Amino acid sequence: MNLTRRNFLTWAGISAAGAVSCNIPFPEAELKIQSPVRLPEDLVKGQDNWYATLCRQCPAAEGVLVRVMEGRAKKVQGNPKYPVNLGKQSARCDAGLQALYHPDRLAGPMSRTGAKGSGQYKAVSWDEALNILNSQLSERGQGLALITEPLRAHLSVIAGRFATAFGGRQLGFQTLDDTSYRGAVKTVFGQDVLPGFDLAHADYLLSFGADFLSTWGSPTQFSQAYGEFRQGAGRVRRGTHVQVEPRFSMTAANADRWLPITPGWEGHLAMSLAYVIIDEKLQAPGVDVGNLTGGRGIAALEAFRPETVAPRIGLPQGLLDGHSAADFIRELARDFASHRPSLAIGGDSAGAHSNGQFNLEAIYALNYLVGSVGAPGGVVFNAASPLPDLPAAAKVGSLADWAGVAEDIRSGKTKLLLVHQADPVHGLPKSMGFRDALAGDNLFTVSFSSFMDETTALADLILPDRVYLEDWGSDIPEPGPGYPVLGFQQPVVNPLSDYNPRSFADILLASAQGKAGNLPWPKLRDFLRESSDALFALKRGSIQAADSGEFWTKLLQQGGWWDDKATNPRPGAAPRDLLTGIAARAVPPAYSGLADGEFHLLPFAHNTLLDGGNAHLPWLQGAPDPVTTITWQTWVEVNDRKVKELKWREGDVIKVESAAGFILAPVYPNPALPPNVVAIPLGQGRRSGGEYAAGRAAPESANVMDLLEDRRVAVSGALAWAGARVRLTPTGESIRISKFEGSSPAREIGLTPSEDIFKTVESNGAAGAAH
Amino acid sequence: MATERVNHKWGMVIDLDRCTGCQACVVACHAENNVPINTQDRFLQHRAYEWIRIERYWEGEFPNVKARFLPVLCQHCENAPCEPVCPVYATYHNDQGLNVQIYNRCVGTRYCINNCPYQVRFFNWWEPQWPATLRNQLNPDVTVRSRGIMEKCTFCIQRLRRGELTVERQEGGRLDDKTMQERNFGPACVSACPTNALMFGDQRDPKSAISPYFADANEHVHEEDRKTRAYRLLEEMNTKPNVIYLKKVDQYPLKLKQGEQNG
Repeated sequence: MNLTRRNFLTWAGISAAGAVSCNIPFPEAELKIQSPVRLPEDLVKGQDNWYATLCRQCPAAEGVLVRVMEGRAKKVQGNPKYPVNLGKQSARCDAGLQALYHPDRLAGPMSRTGAKGSGQYKAVSWDEALNILNSQLSERGQGLALITEPLRAHLSVIAGRFATAFGGRQLGFQTLDDTSYRGAVKTVFGQDVLPGFDLAHADYLLSFGADFLSTWGSPTQFSQAYGEFRQGAGRVRRGTHVQVEPRFSMTAANADRWLPITPGWEGHLAMSLAYVIIDEKLQAPGVDVGNLTGGRGIAALEAFRPETVAPRIGLPQGLLDGHSAADFIRELARDFASHRPSLAIGGDSAGAHSNGQFNLEAIYALNYLVGSVGAPGGVVFNAASPLPDLPAAAKVGSLADWAGVAEDIRSGKTKLLLVHQADPVHGLPKSMGFRDALAGDNLFTVSFSSFMDETTALADLILPDRVYLEDWGSDIPEPGPGYPVLGFQQPVVNPLSDYNPRSFADILLASAQGKAGNLPWPKLRDFLRESSDALFALKRGSIQAADSGEFWTKLLQQGGWWDDKATNPRPGAAPRDLLTGIAARAVPPAYSGLADGEFHLLPFAHNTLLDGGNAHLPWLQGAPDPVTTITWQTWVEVNDRKVKELKWREGDVIKVESAAGFILAPVYPNPALPPNVVAIPLGQGRRSGGEYAAGRAAPESANVMDLLEDRRVAVSGALAWAGARVRLTPTGESIRISKFEGSSPAREIGLTPSEDIFKTVESNGAAGAAH
Repeated sequence: MATERVNHKWGMVIDLDRCTGCQACVVACHAENNVPINTQDRFLQHRAYEWIRIERYWEGEFPNVKARFLPVLCQHCENAPCEPVCPVYATYHNDQGLNVQIYNRCVGTRYCINNCPYQVRFFNWWEPQWPATLRNQLNPDVTVRSRGIMEKCTFCIQRLRRGELTVERQEGGRLDDKTMQERNFGPACVSACPTNALMFGDQRDPKSAISPYFADANEHVHEEDRKTRAYRLLEEMNTKPNVIYLKKVDQYPLKLKQGEQNG
């Protein structure tokens, strides 16, 4: 048949009539208006598979499902079954895909040809590279240092035993390390594993410094509970959240009440609250105050009378409603003690002053007074591990440890350094000289990084690891949900042919063969399989299977094993003399920095970039900071009235100077920052890396760690990163701030007045159910 | 075998008392919908693509100061101001309550952006670009929009369609709250939201968590007589959005100076 105009129209007419009469399940309205092509959205192309694994974009290691089509990963979603995040995810999880397909991924093993730090490398084959590694291990492996991310479960065993086999040590690196928090948890609760919090059932939350909705601890786990804390079904009353923090963090922005106090006095305030609770006998029934105070009662806390503490902690007058600051503290204590279950938590800057560990101990001890330890709505303890030998707590190095590593390198005790998923050169204060130590000629450095970073740039040998979506792994979440969990990570895709990575764990296992390291497994997968069989033998938990093969399959399908029926260790009685002991350790904060510095410096982990480890991921660079909405830049937050008073403007480049050095960055006027505080995010200022991570120089991008001195928290030896005194001077230069704010006009925000607070907790889906 | 199509009407409820402003929804949307990378230049030009965005508002002065977070996405209005102005019918309202954009009809007049009071439409001023390796991540279910085309939130129609096909036409079930949540057929932002501030469902499904709010916030009930915290953005414009917000509860309202208003 010839295709003439007439024929074409005839056939088109017949087809259209046919389509309508064939009862195609599309609504009539769509057919009327759409052209005779099908909408792209109506076509479904290909089948997708969802694989369960673990996310490694932040230390919380959430359980995720990855959508895979045609061998390519397309989307990361929370694993609805995984107890930590129950199907939810943070902004960081999604960006794992960009790490997987990143244009700056290192393409294969490389050996240094130029001077250290010159960036001159030549590609070598894996055989050649592993030969170099093994000969270096036998030549200079004795006393090696293995620096990794904070490790738990299987990789922790492998890395730990590997280091021991060579008479060396393995340490987890965290820029803002949590060793003071771990110390406080040990003193107050006697626990080695970090506790969880039953926020969902708490009525009153008093948080000191912890930015737990954004970066602190396990943010997705806490956020999920926070949603329930606010509007959970079946609640009688909406939870009240008071945030004591000198910086206006994202968490402070969500609090019902924000109490900015002078940095470093959090512990004194907590002790003062304890004083009022004991003084007015507000403690929960059954709490043995005599035990906590060594029988001395209120006399033990005499130094913390609100009248004594109030003038020191710097509560702003404007918050006090005409009351005295001491009365305000009393009222806060009454609120806290009367709205049980109430919960006190602390972290971040509260624990990062010279007296940080005292602060945290004082804060967490409050939970004993209100009966919240191990009780619903309170602090939840986590078991050591479902399987013996698998560590549930990460071994994190304190600043004292890193100073020791640097010293061992300088003295020649450590001649071989292995680094995996850690960038200490970027993350340690410049004044510690870690960069110089690594640049020394006596040291051979092997980096297992998939990307160029500041530590890798000084390496002699680079052995790119697989990205976690291509690799095996496991995790025991810390903090866990209150019952034993062992998460499993499986490869969901094969690496692209452009990249040529090898698994870090498998390299360690191969290199340790024949050494006295007790590492009998050829590959990490064999070790995981062994643990799967051990879990199967327990005959309990989330997986029912007839044999160990079926168990292994189901284990990977679910993304792990957990036993929500198992009870974790019940807390014992409060340590005797707890409050007396803490009171004896109370000291005011000693600030580092310039004696004449007008401002306290509060660095903070970036919402998506964290300490800079995610700085190469464009989605996370382009995700606005929740409070300032700034993207792709470093900024200096200064109180807006202060900025006006100094006749500065947004974007003016400021020189921020401490005793350790200076950085340049643009100023952002923040209406919610105390006038004597400056806040600067971590995350930018990478000196090595690709375009996304390191493509912008100062003043667009600066590393706030350059301002910190080697000052430590008493007892724990952690870096005291908060409160240093700094001087701000304008440079006369100005740049534009790349922020999201102002992109669209303002809209109405509905607020309900406070008297409606009881009836505004709505049971799920039942409109108007008033309580 | 095709079965009778279920007559859905989709809707979203956003609980501002749960929202913490964490940006999880924003990045999840970028990953699902092939949204071009927001480079620094885009932000400097105020042309960042965010189909869903978190607006942050300041209220008060130090120390009596608060920040408020408001997630804003296409409101999928029943009386959408963007629809009648499109000269080529590239944007229209479908029978499921979705405001739909047909990319291959769009000729880029940008009248719709001009007429949208919520500023949730984005024009492609440039050809979107990804480094070659990053293209491996692109979602094959979603068209990459070329230069000169308008784009916006679709309520993840590709997921809804996949859900309808799989659950309703192949399995004979019903795409409800539970199946959408468990099998990832709901919008990506809703799946991601860590505090469950975003809820999505079928307004015509009485069992859906969202339907009571739509029943409460309708044109027959005066705003002040509503039993829940429900309200709509710019309600006075009568755009009838299919997105409902639940008011934030303010336990300690700021004491404002005379003349200032709360909210």
